Amino acid sequence: MIDILQVLVLGLALGGVYALMASGLTLIFGVMRIVNLAHPIMILTGAFVSYWLFTLYGIDPILSMPVAALVLFVIGLVLYKLVFAREAASAKYSEMTVLLTFALAMSFDGLLGALFSNTQRVTTPSYGTQAIFLGDLFIPTAQLYAGIASFVIIGGLMLFLRYTRFGYAIRATTQNRAAAQLMGVNVEFVSLVTFGIGLALAGAAGSLVSFIFSFFPAKHWEWIAILMSLVVLGGMGKLMGTIVAALLLSVIAAFVGTYAGSTWSTMTFFLALFVMLLVRPQGLFGDRIEEA
Amino acid sequence: MRKKVGGMLLAAAATALASAAQAEAPIRIAASLPLTGSFSVSGAKHEQGYRLCVDLINEKGGLLGRKLELILGDNRSDTETAINQYERFINADKADLVFGTFSSKLTFPVSAVMEKYGMVHPVPAGGALRIWSQGLKHAFYFQQNAAELVGESLVEMIDALVPPDERPKTAAVVHSDDFFANGIAAGLLGRKVENPGGGVVADLAPGYLADHDVKVVMEERWPEEGFSDWLNLANSVKRSEAELVIGLTASAEEAVQLTRALQTVKAQPKFLYLSQGTQAEYAEGAGKAAEGVAVHTSWHPAVPFVGLLAGATFTNQDFRKAFEAKYGTAPDEDSAIPFAVCQGMEQAVRATGSTDNRKLSEWLHARTKEDPVRTVLGPFNWDERGLPKGRPFLEAQWQGGVLKFVYPTDEFEGVAPLVYPKPQW
Repeated sequence: MIDILQVLVLGLALGGVYALMASGLTLIFGVMRIVNLAHPIMILTGAFVSYWLFTLYGIDPILSMPVAALVLFVIGLVLYKLVFAREAASAKYSEMTVLLTFALAMSFDGLLGALFSNTQRVTTPSYGTQAIFLGDLFIPTAQLYAGIASFVIIGGLMLFLRYTRFGYAIRATTQNRAAAQLMGVNVEFVSLVTFGIGLALAGAAGSLVSFIFSFFPAKHWEWIAILMSLVVLGGMGKLMGTIVAALLLSVIAAFVGTYAGSTWSTMTFFLALFVMLLVRPQGLFGDRIEEA
Repeated sequence: MRKKVGGMLLAAAATALASAAQAEAPIRIAASLPLTGSFSVSGAKHEQGYRLCVDLINEKGGLLGRKLELILGDNRSDTETAINQYERFINADKADLVFGTFSSKLTFPVSAVMEKYGMVHPVPAGGALRIWSQGLKHAFYFQQNAAELVGESLVEMIDALVPPDERPKTAAVVHSDDFFANGIAAGLLGRKVENPGGGVVADLAPGYLADHDVKVVMEERWPEEGFSDWLNLANSVKRSEAELVIGLTASAEEAVQLTRALQTVKAQPKFLYLSQGTQAEYAEGAGKAAEGVAVHTSWHPAVPFVGLLAGATFTNQDFRKAFEAKYGTAPDEDSAIPFAVCQGMEQAVRATGSTDNRKLSEWLHARTKEDPVRTVLGPFNWDERGLPKGRPFLEAQWQGGVLKFVYPTDEFEGVAPLVYPKPQW
């Protein structure tokens, strides 16, 4: 029984981090239909911000989350203006963004490598390798803190989307861009800020990732597939769906890893994606797909 | 008549000019390395090793009166890219010499390209036995021995340094599903080594662990890429209650992840051995958790090997100093091994007076115990497969933040006593 509970705890712990990593990705897709393949490299950029603040000044990565978020928010605004804004009217916008963000991912990969070298890094606060032991059960502190931080941020984001005027505007734009514009929403500005927020979420996730996984610039290629599968499973742009998918799949993967072998745990995400596309292509929380 | 003489003079002058230009044309050396991607930590260090060696030779006047030019490609830890780059080096760049790449995974396919063109293939990292059982004629390995034999040094060290009643009786072997890690695991667990196309290369039964009465209570492999569930894996290791934990990977980054996870879940084996983790980055990432972790290594700063460079004696200490002067950090084996590759090839070119790869291959094959290639990794002569003869692996252990050399104990001075059992974390 303890064993099962333990695996559950470890699965949830990992899922909390994945939820935050995928939340910015799903938000950006939801509002702007941008398939942001550069999201994981932005997470790594945030991780580097926290890593250097910790290494040079001893600032705890959880405390440096706002800094990483702010840096990425600004990067987001600049990138949106430079790269995405001019194409927004294009009929093939979504397809185009796949190529654009892929190019961005490769550019940032090279840039981070040139700036910080391709060597592995990990932020090492004291709680990074500790655990709280409750009898035979243990909860890893790094994952616990990261999970709490994730849920505070995601909770804040949900409140923001639900109860502020700007949040309304974002949700309206997500639901129907043209209608929102007709109702007087400045969709261009909403898109700009949302892209910034999406990347800020990546930055915040990066701070947490910096002490949970060791990382180097090329690490992002390993994450993109898992994060994209969470977004699709959650229902393409549905925040709650993505969070549920992240938690659920991480728990399933933990059980698979424990009882069927680690080789299969990573595959869980893709098998689930496969099955979901066959059975319920709109994802867990997605709307029914209408024939175009 | 006058005109004819003039023409002849012109032709002679042109020939002289051409040969002078040829004499001055640099010797082109090419290597494809994983400078990005999952092997980037080791790849970047390989670049440092190659570059240092080439620069030092150039500073000392070059080779055969010619300067050396190093052409490097980043293969992104990807096999297809590595193959393409070597094809290009040989066919388009007309490289005179090629140096090998990092890790068995990339070396295996690349070895076929080298063999196809009859290029000497000096291999810095590519220990899997499958590489050396293909009948390669021009490949030479610049580490101690095949990956499958790594485990032998480990169990022999434990037998030699730990009293019988304190030795570990159970083992957990966890490893990446990678060419190199699978090779070491095959030796430890006594598996058959098979070629991709079928056919058994070697039957390693019963395996070093069974051979030394260590019972394997857990064996688990994780996927080569994209694995992140380290805590869960570490928890399984803990539940196995193995006294000896063996973690095998070709990636220094994974070694950090595994160590940190084992520390977090408080798995407390008597001994922890990893196949990667000699790098300063490992010590930084694992922090205090590195204490007592044992790693096999092909090189150690304290080992008094005497090599040759630019025709003169060049000791391991000379290498350390030159590396620190150039890069401002201490070298580790990932830089020392490629440096040794470059030393070996330089000695071959110097001895044959040529960059004819056939002559170089013959000369390297003709090395003996008495007349070996001399490098910072020690002397090398090879068997017909291209594997070094009579070279034991070195075993090292992190003690007080320093990688101490612990086994074999009788070859050199300055060997530290083994810390056993590993301190609890």
